[in-house]
Amino acid sequence: MRRKRGRLARLVLAAAAVTIVFPLALTALWSVSSTWEWPSLLPGGFSLRGYEAVFAAYQRMPALLASSAGISLAVAALSTLAGLMAGRAIALYRFPGRKLLLFGTMLPILVPSTVFGMGAHVLLIRAGLAGTVRGVVLVQTVCALPYTVNMLSDLTAAQGCGLEEQAQVLGCPPLRAFREVSLPGLLPGICASMSMAYIISYSQYFLTLLIGGGRVKTLSTVMVPFLGGGDRTVASAYAVTFLLSVLAVYLIFEGLIRHLTGRRGEDVWNWS
Amino acid sequence: MLRPLQRRKLRRRLAPYLLSLPAAALVILFLAGLVSGLVQSFGYIPAFGLREWTLKYYRAVFADGALAASVRLSLWISAASTVLSAVLGTVLCAALVRMQGRNGAALQIVRVPIQVPHTVAALFTLSIFSQSGLLSRILERAGALAAQGGFPNLISGPSGGGILLAYVWKEAPFVAYFVLALMQSVSRRLDEAAATLGASPVRTFFSVTLPLSAPAILRASLIIFAFSFGAYELPFLLGATSPKALPVQAYIEYINPDLKHRPYAMALNGVILLLTLALAAAFFAVTERTAKKLGGGHEA
Amino acid sequence: MELELKRLTVELGGKEILHSLDCRVEDGCFLSLLGPSGCGKSTLLKTVAGILPQSGGEVWMGGRCVDDLPPHRRGAVIVFQDMRLFPHLTAEENVAFPLKMRGVSRQERRRRALELLERVQLGGLGGRRPHQLSGGQQQRVALARALAAQPNLLLLDEPFSGLDEELRGQMRDLVRRLHDETGCTTLLVTHDREEARVLSDRILRMEAGRLLPPEPGA
Repeated sequence: MRRKRGRLARLVLAAAAVTIVFPLALTALWSVSSTWEWPSLLPGGFSLRGYEAVFAAYQRMPALLASSAGISLAVAALSTLAGLMAGRAIALYRFPGRKLLLFGTMLPILVPSTVFGMGAHVLLIRAGLAGTVRGVVLVQTVCALPYTVNMLSDLTAAQGCGLEEQAQVLGCPPLRAFREVSLPGLLPGICASMSMAYIISYSQYFLTLLIGGGRVKTLSTVMVPFLGGGDRTVASAYAVTFLLSVLAVYLIFEGLIRHLTGRRGEDVWNWS
Repeated sequence: MLRPLQRRKLRRRLAPYLLSLPAAALVILFLAGLVSGLVQSFGYIPAFGLREWTLKYYRAVFADGALAASVRLSLWISAASTVLSAVLGTVLCAALVRMQGRNGAALQIVRVPIQVPHTVAALFTLSIFSQSGLLSRILERAGALAAQGGFPNLISGPSGGGILLAYVWKEAPFVAYFVLALMQSVSRRLDEAAATLGASPVRTFFSVTLPLSAPAILRASLIIFAFSFGAYELPFLLGATSPKALPVQAYIEYINPDLKHRPYAMALNGVILLLTLALAAAFFAVTERTAKKLGGGHEA
Repeated sequence: MELELKRLTVELGGKEILHSLDCRVEDGCFLSLLGPSGCGKSTLLKTVAGILPQSGGEVWMGGRCVDDLPPHRRGAVIVFQDMRLFPHLTAEENVAFPLKMRGVSRQERRRRALELLERVQLGGLGGRRPHQLSGGQQQRVALARALAAQPNLLLLDEPFSGLDEELRGQMRDLVRRLHDETGCTTLLVTHDREEARVLSDRILRMEAGRLLPPEPGA
């Protein structure tokens, strides 16, 4: 009986793996094809013209990649910091307004960013933030906040304040106690939170488009018109470029986490 | 001058508020955006010379055939994709839990769609399911299709099929990941107990594991329903010319150079807001009930 | 250092846990606080150490009121039931921690930490991380670390409860020996009557947040 069930599970996982990997492989293949006319099942030829289009001089791709990464790193840092602090308040203190804070920080996951963006746009215009990088970073940080607060409040609660209490009675002032005994344990979670916020920000399209007003360009906003366009080779080349640039940063964070924990940091991802 | 003890107590009392400041500021910005949109949806936009509070824009949304069709389309897409993603995601999660200890590679693969943006998922859908896509080519080669036009218009047809497929590809893994921790812990604790009481693995799953994992599945479902109802990217790239999904229609009204369209855009957003706030309330109700059942809360 | 509690009252979560405690502990005394679980013994330790602010009354140490002193300046060190060794530091670094807080040089820290580990019979295990040590070994590291802080007051919160009978005996001997060597005022919280009798100079009984009058002939 048990072995039979294991087979079913294996089948499900295999099917899922194929469903997930196949489109990626297909897109990679399409990105290096010169033409792939209907109804051929294989590309008509191979070339790098897709990537040439993506990295053509007028696109200023290296600068675009750098500024996209910069924006997303800023969002990751700000949302993680806000999430760490609020997470500590939620996890370790009982205070009037705690539930409200919890509810409020979760709201941006449930209420769509389109509603938020179109409503806040006029406020940001008045504040002089529309069409600026600062404005885009601000709204993206709002969107990433629920994820960082959730993850870091869980991790802080799991850690508790016991170690800090111990450090304090041993002669360590409170702020230093956090730095010396709590922070090392939280670092893997902080990296995971930054990684998650980075991806959320990097993938943002609508908010960047709306609030950036066309003046703030990220890889995501530049890419979308091509994705829906007619030349699938170029579209695929953009998609592959995008995914590889995300993967690179993700692997850097993973490497950091692994280095910090000395083993696979799987548990750090389980939050719900 | 406060006595030192009172000072210490005051600092303790203030600490959580000081810590919450950055996050609270961001939440207030979020709420301000929502309120601003709501106010505009009731017709009050002094900058455009509109000063009368009215419900006419909301009435227009439901009276106008095209706009009402948008609402129906968005509801259909969200409901269908949520149900499918919840079911498939739960099955996927169960498989991952069953293969506990040997599922390392699978876990990594399942994580991938969560990190692929919706815009790229749209490209995947186009590459495979559009009329010039892979599936149509396979059918042509197999002799089942004569011309491109013969392949059903899944993408820009009125059914929203392409959008559905893309959402399920992205959200089923999300559900699986969201529920994983809970299902793992339930399984670890209770599988053996159930087996010694004579339950087969299948029976255990449906009578024990599934009901106990239900709160997490429900919460994940509420999240993806709310998300798909208000998201722009997928319906923009994969949607039909008409009817358009709510968020796409809202944005079209929003950027209309004729500013009189602005309140219509806000009314459409208002409809999205109303529904997602209801989902948020449900989300919190489920979270609270689960916390109480598990005896949540720890000492200060 | 001498400890005195004057009308000490502590509230937690709206409930009064400790009710107007009065008590005097002479310098160098080994006092056991005996009572059932939930009667507020741990709360008392935390309040004396300054982690929990009281809602009424005063804590006096060495003849002065220490209410204005935060925990890191009082010199009342707690050894907790769950030991609370810092997981990212080795045993030696754990023991050296209080010395690091006082700005002692690295070389000197190391020397003193190793010396203390010898005193608790853990010589040679300084390089291990807490998770690589047994329960009894962790307990000794926690003790050595507390001593490194050269406390005015040593507060032990049911430190032997997680250990088996034989280890308990060894630890009891160790604690008593260290007390005799250092002369440090020690407060031991326990629910084990026998342990209290064997170890301490004085026993104070506590029930439902109140100190009971001393037993005749105790």
